[in-house]
Amino acid sequence: MTRVWLPCGDYHQNYAEDQGWWQTRVIQGKMIFLLVLVFILFPLFLSGYWLSVANMIGYTALGALGVQILIGYAGLITLGHAAFIAVGAYASTVLILYFPWPHFLVAWGLAYPISIIIAAIVAGLWSVLFGLPSARIKGFYLILSTMAAQFITVDFILTQYVSQIGGRGQAFSLPPGTIKIGPWLIDSDRKIYFLMITLLTLAVIVTANLLRTRVGRAWVAIRDNDVAAETLGINIVWYKLLNFFVAGFIGGIAGAFWVSNCAALSPEHFPWFWSLWLVGVILIGGAGIDGVIFGSIFMVGVMELIQIGVISISDVYPELMIKFLYIKESVFGLAICAFLIYEPRGLSYRWWQIKNYFNLWPFSY
Amino acid sequence: MELFLMTLTTGIMVGGIYALVALGWVLIYKCSGVLNLAMGELTLIGAYVTISFYSWGVPFVLSIVCTLIVGIILGILVERIFLDRLIGEPILAIIMVTVGISYFLKGIIEFIWGTDIRVFTPPIFSLKPFSIGFLKISTVYFWSFVLAIVLFLVFVAFFKYTRWGLSMQATADDETAALSLGVSARFVYAASWAIAFMSAGVGGALLGNINGVTISVGYLGLLVLPAVVLGGLNSVPGAIVGGLLIGVLQNFAGTYLDAYFPGGVKDVFPFAFMAVFLLFMPYGLWGWVKIERM
Repeated sequence: MTRVWLPCGDYHQNYAEDQGWWQTRVIQGKMIFLLVLVFILFPLFLSGYWLSVANMIGYTALGALGVQILIGYAGLITLGHAAFIAVGAYASTVLILYFPWPHFLVAWGLAYPISIIIAAIVAGLWSVLFGLPSARIKGFYLILSTMAAQFITVDFILTQYVSQIGGRGQAFSLPPGTIKIGPWLIDSDRKIYFLMITLLTLAVIVTANLLRTRVGRAWVAIRDNDVAAETLGINIVWYKLLNFFVAGFIGGIAGAFWVSNCAALSPEHFPWFWSLWLVGVILIGGAGIDGVIFGSIFMVGVMELIQIGVISISDVYPELMIKFLYIKESVFGLAICAFLIYEPRGLSYRWWQIKNYFNLWPFSY
Repeated sequence: MELFLMTLTTGIMVGGIYALVALGWVLIYKCSGVLNLAMGELTLIGAYVTISFYSWGVPFVLSIVCTLIVGIILGILVERIFLDRLIGEPILAIIMVTVGISYFLKGIIEFIWGTDIRVFTPPIFSLKPFSIGFLKISTVYFWSFVLAIVLFLVFVAFFKYTRWGLSMQATADDETAALSLGVSARFVYAASWAIAFMSAGVGGALLGNINGVTISVGYLGLLVLPAVVLGGLNSVPGAIVGGLLIGVLQNFAGTYLDAYFPGGVKDVFPFAFMAVFLLFMPYGLWGWVKIERM
């Protein structure tokens, strides 16, 4: 798959040009427009409701990015990624609430940013712990050990032990004013949106560049054939664990971000369903980082549309509102099945086809 | 000592039900290579269908038979609609289709029956435990175990002695050879799903008898995954041993470890044990060791 179609007569003259992200003026213009759109136009013109939907999309995309690194780039299928997001969220919350921060850090609003980084590292290390079996097992057995990660972490350790810190029982409540970055207090959907879009953009840039380094190529080699990769001299255990670390790291960032969006944190935010949901997102989205974004937009968007539909007919059939969660689960299941059967390469492949069609439009060969 | 033996017997009795469900799982895997994560919801369906028939006044044994029939129909439908088109796809696609099916079914179950706990009224088995020597055994556990074992033997006899069972064994062993001998692989796939739905359904009905029917019965059905992994994915004896082992381990964890790790150690222990076990025996007790060549 060529990544970029160059106009006729346009050639690269050196390696840097050949490897560049934005290779033509048109692409450059498009990308700058996209950045302006998400950083300036959306927050200016969208209402609070749509911004909160966008935040949900961003959170899903951050979580699914980690899953994409594991499944899409190293072939390590995980069904327990919500555990690492939960570890990130809890690490960040516990740090903010109970760590004896020096006063100047709190005054400068650095407590939350520092806690995000620490939470990401903790989540990454936790992920490596459950990635250790991948040294010996793969395929279905690995899937089961990641499921074990989900049940052990969320249903046992977080619910039974971590939630007891501070003696409040089930949930941590975050009083208003605790989430502060520099001079800004993160208290409205618009500010959360800025935090989300910054984190997501950074994560996407770092991941996209990481994937074209030696590390990323090693991951792809392991995914395609791990035996062949080993004969090429790639230390597969090391690279698999590194993959788990990076995926958990991004999951930790996602979790720590989610803290800013909710007033209280409880283990119910990270059920097994959420792990499966993230895998569903990348299956529907398709390969690559754009697959993550497409999948998140599609899944969150469809659920919002269903919710709007249910609300509009709830006058006739009020029971539907109560049962919305069940409808959501059914639709999720059906969407995954339908995509795997009818569109197995996902939305990003369809997008690629559409782009190619219009590249030569209206004068195809 | 008495506590130890009581825990052991309870574990074995529950383990019998797990073994029954695990048999269905292994069967699907052996025949069609599908790794099925929908087992929890299959048990749920069984539990709810049985309790519905029972509450309409159908006797318990007849409602189990009705569950079997519903299981056959649903199994064939699921196989025909979803899995049939995905033969030969990568492992992730197949696993996620089963996940999709499981959520689809779960949503429908919750939509129809709600999430309240339901119990079999009037209770089918007397609540009074009976004793063998100094062992006290709850009647529910005992009869569930007996029923599970009977069904288990019926399924095994089906494989060993009937024409259909033999054709399923042949397909599991070597699909190409079976096809060339005139065995219809599509029939075998459908049959394996039907049997899995039946075994999971009965397992669900029995589990629902013990604790009442809720969505959490689905979680118990999920425990079949550690069971098959302990036994090895493609081994029927492994499924039995794995199921019994998981039942015993779960009850021991509940009895002895609860003092040290208060809370839900009983629920997560099978998964934790499995994760550690896999580090030392990656293919379970009797699973085939896959030899990879380039």
